[in-house]
Amino acid sequence: MNAMVTEIKNKFQELGVDIPAEKIEERLEKLIVKFKVPQEEAKRSVVNFFRKEYNISKDQFYGGQGETSFVKVADISEDGKWVNLKGKVVQLWDNAHGSISQVGLLADETGNIKFISWAVAEMPVVEEGRTYIFKNVVCSEWNGKMEVTLNKSSSIEEIPDDIHVQSRTQGIASLVKVAEISDDGTWVDLKGKIVQLWDNTNESISQVGLIGDETATIKFIKWARAEIPVELIEGKNYLFRNAVTSEWNGKLEITLNKTSSIEEIPDEIEVSTRDAVLTAAMVDIQSGSGLIKRCPQCNRSLTKGACAEHGKVDGVYDLRLKAVLDTGTIAQDILLKREVTEEISGISLEGAIAMAADALDQGVVLEAMKQKLVGKYYTVSGPRIDRYILVESIKQESTLDPELLAELINEAEVF
Amino acid sequence: MAGYTREVARRIFAQEFRESNLTFKDGNDQYSPQYLFTPTGAKVNRMFIVGTLTEKEDIGSDSEYWRGRVSDPTGSFFIYAGQYQPEAAQVLSECDTPEFVAIVGKPSTYTTPEGEIRTSIRPESMYIVDGETRNLWVLDTARVTLERLKVLSGSHPDALRAKEHYRTDTKHYSSMVLKALRSLQEEY
Repeated sequence: MNAMVTEIKNKFQELGVDIPAEKIEERLEKLIVKFKVPQEEAKRSVVNFFRKEYNISKDQFYGGQGETSFVKVADISEDGKWVNLKGKVVQLWDNAHGSISQVGLLADETGNIKFISWAVAEMPVVEEGRTYIFKNVVCSEWNGKMEVTLNKSSSIEEIPDDIHVQSRTQGIASLVKVAEISDDGTWVDLKGKIVQLWDNTNESISQVGLIGDETATIKFIKWARAEIPVELIEGKNYLFRNAVTSEWNGKLEITLNKTSSIEEIPDEIEVSTRDAVLTAAMVDIQSGSGLIKRCPQCNRSLTKGACAEHGKVDGVYDLRLKAVLDTGTIAQDILLKREVTEEISGISLEGAIAMAADALDQGVVLEAMKQKLVGKYYTVSGPRIDRYILVESIKQESTLDPELLAELINEAEVF
Repeated sequence: MAGYTREVARRIFAQEFRESNLTFKDGNDQYSPQYLFTPTGAKVNRMFIVGTLTEKEDIGSDSEYWRGRVSDPTGSFFIYAGQYQPEAAQVLSECDTPEFVAIVGKPSTYTTPEGEIRTSIRPESMYIVDGETRNLWVLDTARVTLERLKVLSGSHPDALRAKEHYRTDTKHYSSMVLKALRSLQEEY
């Protein structure tokens, strides 16, 4: 709440009005605490209250200079600024969010920018390749990049001018390596090898899997409605053009849509197998670890004796660990297959089966492993696959590094 | 748009934890995570501690409610575990004191009638470990605390916030770290 008070106070101060922080806080607190008003709504209400008291118009407060002015795409840099914009809709993106009416890319002579038309704004629908004047749109920053959003007070007007924008293939997507992909919503060209194709039950997806190059691997989705004629084959090399990066469940993936294309290439791409090495404390072992059963047909782990694909089957026992290593700055998921699990836990598959039979409960194995392993420090190494490190070797740390200790003491002394 | 990511378990010495009194929510809805913000600028939603369980007591009236005291080289942490922390409550009810324990848990704060803010930990899990692990934790925590102290001299938003709220005296915390590190050295 303090941050909100300061924000409100500063904003008014910019307009030459000094409101005591206590007055803002008192009002804000009363709304939020006593009257249970949602925070954003409370903030808005407090702002409006003081705007009225000091006779500041909405435009003055939110727009800064009253009338919004026309800008070029390249000049958009200020978060929260209201602008008018003349631009061509160069791309419309697939959009799965109900709250978004349309999302895509606008361009003018100077560059291109992502735009979002919220469903609540009830804006007219725009078409790819047409040019429009967008009035009263808000610039905002998302993941370090600027975008413009359309809201209820925005307007869209189609104009006959055809403005010259940079051509799509050269201008927007750039050829990148997988490891360089770090942003949501960027257009990329990518050369890689199909490492895995995954089973896909979703009708809207044509193909899904993992593509990799010498730097890393990343999940890709080829949407069915993209209607790309190329059928990808595992182990072959391709050039993806105009793929879009997106974030899903905190992880980046790339998607292929109508404007994307795929061509097979003769290059033989060496996919990264660089091992990750990490020393950290094990802070959790997750469910689905310990003694598990796998489907004899597809090797998937069973949930309550049933395979997601093949239904009730007579499972085959296996041992594995899904754990979290935590360095204090990152939390890393790790996956241990049977051999590694047996080695670090000291429990063999046969031993685990016997333990479970004794207790009439598979869970005792997981519990024993937790007791033995969690809370201690380990060094693991192995390839990164998706969000996991697939552990090939694991060693418990038990001795202090005297050099590090001496070094830290030196450091602490000079502070 | 960012999906669920697991909160990192921060490393904080008991002294710094006791001297923390700023909590905030990152976001506006009821599911937004709550953080404890410490004097060296750590944003703590989850923490990992290893120390010595020195005292334990069932202070519950109807059902079991355990209070434990876990000490590190700089002070003590209080932990509270009841029916919603079954794993930790079970360990507390069964273990002896003293014992080395590793705890993953959430920081929580309580304001006394006098207006003082007391910090404690609600354990998500608790395990009995060994003395080596405890030493590794002290070294680990010293290292990251020094890193935070370094950041504190810059203009990182967390650094500014820490300095503004706590007027952090870096010397105070570097000597806390030094004390912890020296305690490790004495064992060699």
